[in-house]
Amino acid sequence: MSAEGVPTPNGVALRVRHLYVRARDRTILTDISIDIPDKEVTAVIGPSGCGKTTFIRSLNRMTETTQGLTVQGSVLYRGQEIYSPSVAPVLVRQRIGMVFQRPTVFPISVYENVAFGLRLEHQPEDRIEQEVQHSLVRAGVWEEVKNDLDRPALSLSGGQQQRICIARALAVRPRILLMDEPTASLDPVSTQRVEATLEELSQEISIVMVTHSIAQAARASTRTAYLYQGRLIEEGSTEELFERPKQKLTEEYVTGRFG
Amino acid sequence: MALLPFLILALITGVLLNASALRNFGWSFWSFSYNFLPQTPDQSSWGIGVFVLGTALTAGLAIVFATLLSLALAVSVVVYLPSGPSRVLNMLTNLLAGIPSVVYGIWGFVILAPYFGITVEPTLRSFLFWLPGFGGPASAIGSWGILLAVFLLTIMIIPLTTALMRSALQSVPRDLVDSAVALGATRWEVARRVRFRVARRGLSSAVLLGLGRALGESVAVAMVIGGVTSLPVSLYSASTSLPSFIFFQLDSAFTYPDLLVLLVEFALVLLIITMVVNIIAQRLTQTELATATTVGTLVGREGELER
Amino acid sequence: MTAGAEGLGEEAPALTYASVSGRTRRRLIFDRFIPWLLPLAFVVVLFPLFDMIFWVAQKAVPTFTLATLTETQVGFGGGLYSMILGTLVLIAIGTAIATGIGMAAGFYTAEYAPRPVATFGRLAGNILAGVPAIVLGYFGYYLLVLYTNWGFTTLAGGIVLGIFMTPYVYRTTDLALTSVPPTQREAALAMGARPRQYLLRIAFPIALPTVLTGIFFAMALGLGEAAPIVYTAGWSSTPITGLMQPTSFLTGAIWLFYDLPPSEGTLLTLAFQAAFLLILIVLGLNVIVQLLSDRFRRRLQGLFE
Repeated sequence: MSAEGVPTPNGVALRVRHLYVRARDRTILTDISIDIPDKEVTAVIGPSGCGKTTFIRSLNRMTETTQGLTVQGSVLYRGQEIYSPSVAPVLVRQRIGMVFQRPTVFPISVYENVAFGLRLEHQPEDRIEQEVQHSLVRAGVWEEVKNDLDRPALSLSGGQQQRICIARALAVRPRILLMDEPTASLDPVSTQRVEATLEELSQEISIVMVTHSIAQAARASTRTAYLYQGRLIEEGSTEELFERPKQKLTEEYVTGRFG
Repeated sequence: MALLPFLILALITGVLLNASALRNFGWSFWSFSYNFLPQTPDQSSWGIGVFVLGTALTAGLAIVFATLLSLALAVSVVVYLPSGPSRVLNMLTNLLAGIPSVVYGIWGFVILAPYFGITVEPTLRSFLFWLPGFGGPASAIGSWGILLAVFLLTIMIIPLTTALMRSALQSVPRDLVDSAVALGATRWEVARRVRFRVARRGLSSAVLLGLGRALGESVAVAMVIGGVTSLPVSLYSASTSLPSFIFFQLDSAFTYPDLLVLLVEFALVLLIITMVVNIIAQRLTQTELATATTVGTLVGREGELER
Repeated sequence: MTAGAEGLGEEAPALTYASVSGRTRRRLIFDRFIPWLLPLAFVVVLFPLFDMIFWVAQKAVPTFTLATLTETQVGFGGGLYSMILGTLVLIAIGTAIATGIGMAAGFYTAEYAPRPVATFGRLAGNILAGVPAIVLGYFGYYLLVLYTNWGFTTLAGGIVLGIFMTPYVYRTTDLALTSVPPTQREAALAMGARPRQYLLRIAFPIALPTVLTGIFFAMALGLGEAAPIVYTAGWSSTPITGLMQPTSFLTGAIWLFYDLPPSEGTLLTLAFQAAFLLILIVLGLNVIVQLLSDRFRRRLQGLFE
């Protein structure tokens, strides 16, 4: 599937075509084709074990950190095949960032956490300082931590930590942010804050969010994809998918009859 | 019953204290002058300095080299190599741990020493003469000396430090590693900036436990260090160390009660040093599992230990 | 804002190795290079291992015959019989002591001791494992040779060797029992089992393989030690007939014969043969330990997942 250089229409951040992900003994994802729209929040829903996490991890080559996974098919980022052998995964991940299920702050200060990605590139200190502040503002946590930048990040609350992680991902200026159940371990108030942050962010970048909460998908996303047993069953605007699902499986899931 | 290990430890310490009767050799005990005159014991000087220096030099240099090599080995296995080769290499490294120290000793004495004298030392001298310790004259008695002891000690403690570092690096949560990868860090950057930092207690504890092992090694060192009680002038000099001296001299001590008492005081000093090193190492890991982890990693049951 | 500036779908983004320069390029090159550099340390470490085994074998094998195992060393000739016998007896006493003390203490630490006591016991166990072998040797010499007036005896050597091996058995027993999944205990007690029945019928069988590996590991360590026994078991060239006699042993043969003048070269060969035998035994024990833990691990895998 050589698709290098094929132009992707405007408004499409990622174009996924015939994506298969296999572990040694089974196929995790089967023939996924989907366009991830630019500057929108796309929710990926489905019962646990359906391959949601593997799906978003395959979008920035994080699958390569798991031994034994093979990826086949094509993921185009602005017309460029990210799985092409001439592409450096490190550069892909700088443009397509990721936030994880639980807060994963490093055991260093708040400031250094957010600066992490910039330090790798040896950015000048004034640039870093600027970017750290800007990212914390974008992640909606600046007001809460602006006096605690030198404190260990681990001393903050879970909700704050998660937003530090979002800020850390934003600091390298990704175009796309992949989020794996970003509020799964947070309380309702923190969840609400993170969701508000997402909405703000989607003005500037694309967000793909895995969630196990159908309500969250309905609240916080504009598009939704439903995965079941490693296959993409249905995708479309969130409103449509929830109100007029085309597939019976989707309907059963979003109405809570199973899953 | 749970206190049996403590009781044994107390018994050992008690017996040594009793044997020494805390007899003081005066301030001269802490000097660098050691000269035992069997005929006129009153005029002997009993300084521990040379022994402490020899121990510190050999164990200290060995732990520096072992730390660097073990870090490289542990990072290779944890970060870079696929699981197949890693398993084989772990097994081979563990084999090194099983080889008796006398075997290291006889290999060092018979095989390595001539090689060190003819090839290694002249090479080092011609390239590193500007480094303190590397430019000096050769050992007065063949090629036995500090450098050879350092080499043997390094190889001997590497399996231990590598096994401990491996499990320290592996115990870094997957989420943290993934987060750094997702920020565009290369595998080396992840290791250096995340794994090393998160596992720093485990890594330091590995270094200290390795140091403890090196400080206490008697037989192999006794066989290759030369057993000379004068101050070393270079790394090629023959020297001595606390454990190797005790091991060497216990024989003669049968005939000289003064020497027997001196040796027990050396043994006490050695015991205290290693205890302190070990206690700090335990504190650092806080999992209270350092020995068990050692055994576990050496017999390849790491997986269960992490639970 | 930033995203809009370039506009998606226009020119291809710089994702390829070829497209970057400067700092980023150096990072990527370094990342390619270091996986080849670091494993070089294995060469540094494994070369001595093979060199050692090669030379020891080379010095020992040509003259290694059945007689090496069955004859007693007399003068410059003979074999290793008395040393093998001595080593076996010493290690048997040591294993008996270490297993007895180590398992009992480990059992109590894991199952009965209140938390602070258990913590303290574990700390003491770990420190005991760190006590230099020669310090144990001096301790044994003073207590079991001089103080008891036994003189050098196999028994004293075995006891000191046992103390040397104890912490390894103790800590593995403790570890094996504490890592039995707590659900097993709850299930057993819920079904009306008494704590004692739980320990003997459930926890112990699960822990046994780990304990066994610990014991084998301690044996391998004990076999290779010379420092604790040289000044407790003494030395005697004749095969022992009782525990209250001094004995010879394999590590001692190496220590005594490694530094003899060339005229007594046959004894140096004997030392290499002892070294060769020790390597074989230790490798054998290692293989047993690996097989044991692989086999039991597979059997118990379901339990630990």
